[in-house]
Amino acid sequence: MSEQDNEAFEVRSRALFQDSVDGLDMRIRSRLTQARSAALDAADGRRPWLFGWKMWAPAAGVTAAAILGLGLWIGSPIGHQAATLSDVQSNFEDLDLVAASDEGSADAMDMLQDDIDFYDFADKAANSGPAA
Amino acid sequence: MARFDTLNRAWMVWDNPAPAPEGAVLEYTRELEKFLAEIERRAFRMAQVALRDPDDALDVVQDAMLKLTRNYAARPSQEWRPLFYRILENGIRDLQRRRTVRKRVMTWLPGPKEDPDNEAQDPLDNVADAAPAIPERLMQAQAMQRLEASLRALPARQREAFMLRNFEGMDVAETASAMACSEGSVKTHYSRAVHALRAQLGEVW
Repeated sequence: MSEQDNEAFEVRSRALFQDSVDGLDMRIRSRLTQARSAALDAADGRRPWLFGWKMWAPAAGVTAAAILGLGLWIGSPIGHQAATLSDVQSNFEDLDLVAASDEGSADAMDMLQDDIDFYDFADKAANSGPAA
Repeated sequence: MARFDTLNRAWMVWDNPAPAPEGAVLEYTRELEKFLAEIERRAFRMAQVALRDPDDALDVVQDAMLKLTRNYAARPSQEWRPLFYRILENGIRDLQRRRTVRKRVMTWLPGPKEDPDNEAQDPLDNVADAAPAIPERLMQAQAMQRLEASLRALPARQREAFMLRNFEGMDVAETASAMACSEGSVKTHYSRAVHALRAQLGEVW
């Protein structure tokens, strides 16, 4: 076993090994890449995962979209219509309150009638002029 | 007073902390990625030669990557290779020890005796390939298989020295650092490995 033979053996074995490395299938290559990424993430992100911006990116996106959608909806005619409908509803509620305000003492509609009589009288008095 | 000084120092650190070396971290992360990408396939094949099972080999390589990046990323980049291979070799040895223990336990248990390390028992190994392989490639693959079998038959330290010196192309000093031994020991292990391999493989190999 000469030194030269040893060298030839070393060269051949190295070439065979390199061939086997180059011939690795895609599954192994992919898994090695995944392992590398995981290792680098571990080195990179020593901070807890809770504080990683990537963790919150989807939630932030959904929230922003919801706010934008709400803004657009309120600004749209449909939104206005909804606002008008709600106003009408509140007016009815006010009327009910007025109607029910004197419940027990007198009818609220009588009060309204009294007011009409008073305004009628005031109008006539104003038109007839001052009494001589 | 001493307590006051300590508190004062703590407050100063809190009030005016040293700037985090973000750029430096990014720089070594990039370097580390390059290093791992360059080394990972050879490391996998070396682990596979020692362990035979590709999944086990992937596990020990991934574990070595994680340990290197977690514990030694801030070390100078020229130290990474010997450190990585030391971690890898430790992982390989741990797994081999666990296998030995498992094998011993299995021999005491009732049921069919199965040797997980015995390649001949895998029926898929005996099935011929459907696609005809190119003869030269086939011969190379066979030669590599014989080399792998011979490497497995070597004592662990000799195998390690041969793979690091010859396959990984490390010099004697780096190999000594990776194997945690003297340079003289590396030379001895390597020389014995070459002689043993040549004796096993024969002159025609």
